[in-house]
Amino acid sequence: MSRVQNTLIESVRKVVGWVPERWLPGGTPDPLIGRHGAVGTQLAQLDGPQKVRGAARFAAEVPLEGLCYAALVNSPVTRGRITRLDTAAAEAAPGVLLVLTYRNMPRLGLVPLMGVTNLGAVGNSALPILQDDQIRYNGQVMALVLAETQQQADHAARLIDLSVDTAPALSDFQAAKPEARTPASILVERNEQSAGDAEAALRQAAFSTDATYTTPGHNHAAIELHGVTAHWTGNRLVLHDATQAVAPTAAALAKLFGLRREDVRVLSPFVGGGFGAKGFWDHQVLAVAAARMVDRPVRLMLSREAVFRMVGGRSPTEQRVAIGADAEGRFTALIHTGYSVMPPYSASPEQYTLGTRSLYRAQSYRFGQKHLDLDIVPNTFMRAPGESVGSFAVESAVDELAHAMDIDPVELRLRNEPETHPLTGTPFSQRALATAWRQGADRFGWDARSTMPRARRDGEWLLGMGCAAGNFPYVRMPSGALRIRLTRDGQATLSTSAQDMGMGTATVQTQHAADRLGLPLDAITFEMGDSDLPAAPVAGGSSQTVSIAAAIAAAASKLTVELLRLAGNASPLAGLRAGEVRLAEGGLVCIEDPTRRETYGDILTRAGRDEISVTETGAPPLEIFKYAMLSHSANFCEVRVSDVTGELRVTRLLGVFDVGTILNPRMAVSQLRGGMIMGLGMALSEEVLFDERSGRIMNPGLADYHIPAHLDVPEIDVTWTGIPDPRSPLGARGIGEIGITGVAAAIANAVFNATGKRLRDLPLTLDRLIGAEGA
Amino acid sequence: MTDIAFHLNGTPIRLGAGDPTRTLLDYLREDRGLTGTKEACREGDCGACTVMVRDGTGRAQAFNSCILFLPQLQGKSVTTVEGLRGPAGQMHPVQEEMIAHHGSQCGFCTPGFIMSMATAHLNGDQNHDRALAGNLCRCTGYAPIIRAAEAAAARPVPDWMGQDAAFTCSEISSGGEARTGLGGQTAPLATGFSPASTDDLAQWYLANPDATLIAGATDVGLWVTKQLRDLAPVAFLGGIADLAQIRQQDGQFHVGAGVTITDLMAAVEDTLPSFAALLARYASQQVRNAATIGGNIANGSPIGDGPPALIALGASLHLRRGDARRLIAIEDFFLDYRKQDRQPGEFVEAVSFADTAPDLRCYKISKRFDQDISAICACFNVTVAQGRVTAARLAFGGMAGIPKRAAAAEAALTGAEWSLDAIRQAQAAMAGDFMPMSDMRASAAYRAEVAAALLERYFHDLAGTATDILEVRA
Repeated sequence: MSRVQNTLIESVRKVVGWVPERWLPGGTPDPLIGRHGAVGTQLAQLDGPQKVRGAARFAAEVPLEGLCYAALVNSPVTRGRITRLDTAAAEAAPGVLLVLTYRNMPRLGLVPLMGVTNLGAVGNSALPILQDDQIRYNGQVMALVLAETQQQADHAARLIDLSVDTAPALSDFQAAKPEARTPASILVERNEQSAGDAEAALRQAAFSTDATYTTPGHNHAAIELHGVTAHWTGNRLVLHDATQAVAPTAAALAKLFGLRREDVRVLSPFVGGGFGAKGFWDHQVLAVAAARMVDRPVRLMLSREAVFRMVGGRSPTEQRVAIGADAEGRFTALIHTGYSVMPPYSASPEQYTLGTRSLYRAQSYRFGQKHLDLDIVPNTFMRAPGESVGSFAVESAVDELAHAMDIDPVELRLRNEPETHPLTGTPFSQRALATAWRQGADRFGWDARSTMPRARRDGEWLLGMGCAAGNFPYVRMPSGALRIRLTRDGQATLSTSAQDMGMGTATVQTQHAADRLGLPLDAITFEMGDSDLPAAPVAGGSSQTVSIAAAIAAAASKLTVELLRLAGNASPLAGLRAGEVRLAEGGLVCIEDPTRRETYGDILTRAGRDEISVTETGAPPLEIFKYAMLSHSANFCEVRVSDVTGELRVTRLLGVFDVGTILNPRMAVSQLRGGMIMGLGMALSEEVLFDERSGRIMNPGLADYHIPAHLDVPEIDVTWTGIPDPRSPLGARGIGEIGITGVAAAIANAVFNATGKRLRDLPLTLDRLIGAEGA
Repeated sequence: MTDIAFHLNGTPIRLGAGDPTRTLLDYLREDRGLTGTKEACREGDCGACTVMVRDGTGRAQAFNSCILFLPQLQGKSVTTVEGLRGPAGQMHPVQEEMIAHHGSQCGFCTPGFIMSMATAHLNGDQNHDRALAGNLCRCTGYAPIIRAAEAAAARPVPDWMGQDAAFTCSEISSGGEARTGLGGQTAPLATGFSPASTDDLAQWYLANPDATLIAGATDVGLWVTKQLRDLAPVAFLGGIADLAQIRQQDGQFHVGAGVTITDLMAAVEDTLPSFAALLARYASQQVRNAATIGGNIANGSPIGDGPPALIALGASLHLRRGDARRLIAIEDFFLDYRKQDRQPGEFVEAVSFADTAPDLRCYKISKRFDQDISAICACFNVTVAQGRVTAARLAFGGMAGIPKRAAAAEAALTGAEWSLDAIRQAQAAMAGDFMPMSDMRASAAYRAEVAAALLERYFHDLAGTATDILEVRA
């Protein structure tokens, strides 16, 4: 399938390459680009008041009559078979309504894995849910207990007597390497790609670096736990879920439980952080099944430990990056290969080499990834899957080469900026990474950096500076639908099932709609988070902003046509076609002769209509095949490392982002900074500690999985080039993920500059700087 | 019999017999439908469940409601995020500033931050770094939230945030009928035993030596929320006034076991600043407001931050069993991993230590600056007279199964000339003092090397070289 996919994608790319620009989305730049309107202003988050009052109701907080509570029993072993599952004591415990095991769970099919060949699919795991006595990973659900109170459910869950016949399991990364698989493709890209003989070029290079970098597993650690409230009324299901995929979840549940799609409603008005984690996992299915069996509403909220054990995180990686360069620093060879974990029942390939493929020009290349089939909770997408950890490897390597050549690391990067996409020759839609580098170096005071490590000191503290680039592709999802309903009083309601977990989607698209429809901000209502609304795809891959923007643009075009039809011959607009008018000042205006105009209210009134409603889907995202479309960042960092204790303090971070139009600076700064903080956590402390003997996660909690806390986060300066992308709606590219990329490398490079220690394994913990490992 | 009486957002609440280890968080969310208070870790790490608690004197403090048992609220007044609104539905200044500064992104951690901020705002506390360190945010981090707190600090406390009017009602402020002394209460009580005096506790504990004593519940709370243990019988020590006293006399602090870390920190701030600075990194404000020094000592953890400092100070531990009291050096209390010199029915009553120690320095090494357990906690107190070391106390946490002195290193230093040479000798000797282990906080090699290196930091520190770790501010 994957090989077929490669051929298909490459054919599309080839055909789209021949098609004239003007026929394609983005071929004619969006007229809103560069217009000064509501877009670009600092509108405050629209649901802020609900959030600060504690009135925003999250999925596990919906009050329902007759609600009962679920608790889970998770497998204590990695592989095996249940030999005994005695539920009698649990069933007899006070308040218990149901004990659900593989014996009485309704027989359900498998959930299709999400992927590029099945864009409607939403599964993170292709394993059966409570369907048999097999144990496939440590943490897999063995039983669910339903009781009148949470305390009763928790108590009864502990009374379940489980015995297991343990089978050999594969949970050791290194041991699995000889059996690694080489997939044909990684997402939409062909996996193994090369040009020239990179290994030979590396051997012959005047300067070179060749090293292995490792990154551990990471956990999204959203502050909100995964939780659902499931409620059946006859054959109709309502699921209050915390999900990044509202409509796809409803579709998946309908299919799984044999329901009509319109009989399933998924509501997710608020999500307390997602980062890739808030997708479709076992708990939704379990809660829905249990609620049907007892015919009562069910609340299932995972404990923090269960989130670690049942919702996969980012895979660990082991990456080789080798770069050869000539005497001027021009890359003659660029190699990026490696291993990550992706059991066949997981959906996420952790595409750590993809970013590297467009980052630098080189005379020869080799790229390829191998997958390890460990018996683990299926890994999944986490903020900038691939690029976050891949950029650590490649950007550390560039720093190593710069040091070996005694060239400034910013300068070395500038010397290897590509003109067009290095592998395909496709033109970049917009790329100003060089501008970002220069802007950042100036703003950060990069001149003050010493080229020699260990050259700057303050008492016991060694000081250093480092930098690294980041990139992340532009993605626009096909098939996002949106409805515009315009009423006679000049109010517009835009509706789509998409999800806002704090990124500012509703706020920013309200700004966009105001400009697109020529209405004031307070005339716009933006509805989302409900699968009964026109279906939008998953919020992922930094795609949602442009996907919704394209849908709004498409719906506005359709609205224009409908309004002109409605206006009729008595209107000053009579006889005009859609291309001859624009939406402005609360109505339609003739472009050639702006005196010919009519307000929406007048058009509707004359037509005897109270409202008009159109639903449309954004044009297929063919622009991504015509152009190389990526966001870039230049990250700068300053650190202090204690020579006595190895304590590492990041004192300054700067990110300069080349991400197209900034739609709302207040939201954008927050998203970008948030990404950088996650990159800081990745550098300093975040690590899923995995017991490779037992397959057990050893730190499934916020006390031991360390996300950055208050005084670990320094002053973070965020700025941007502000150059629009002429090929995207609004000139924008998504910004949810670019922030994290490059940050860990910038910090590790600064640590090298401070201490002379090259750390190639994340996180940069105390004992990697001092002690046996740091010696 | 012993009802629990407290105020919730201005409304008097009286709860009869029930589960004594039911948490305030569960009560708020499940029984009261007050879901503004969030659950995200159930162990006091994240602060999403933060509430404001005021006592009878009107003192307001932030607590993690996920590890706060209902009986601990006896006679208190609780404010949740829902209780911050003004009579006409107005927002509190911290709420308005959080919106204005975009300090709330996904909004899930927000109510917890709001309650930490509102508590600091009420107290006029402008140390925002300290007040907010116990709240985790994953979306956008801390700078906009600090800016919001700074902006709110310039605005007056809304009049509706004054003393809870109904709170002065004597029934509540006296804790209802709870403090009736012993009165035949030797049997396990459904609501737990809440003694009013140390004498009552001593007698009851003698009769119930298997009971769990609960002061702040920042450790015991996890036995319930994580391990789902049944703790009965339990006694809640929060109502024992004489156990929460700090006396300073004859050059000594005499600190009752029920003194919270927050109060201890304030007491030692002027005369033992290094100890106070260490305590400022003891978990988070919410935890310090609940946790007691007695609990920190009595749980015997090898990685608690209180004991190494107290050992370095040469503290004495006051133990009591019934009417019998004994005094031991605090280091002698720790026998082995999680094993202490404590008889059944015996409890820590107080700890006393020198009220000044100019050469005391405490170093906490952890992966994360805020809210992290020490990989190593090193507390040094060396006395030098005429250039020679006359006494040396070098105490460590994280280096052994118990908080422990480096006896060989101390011996090497004592009598020696105070010099880098002597430090080198002591460092060499220290190799025989400890056999640290590798765990998720640090490797054995790191611990061994850094424990020794910290002695050198100490030498330079006393000589005036800057070692401050706090160079980072958002």
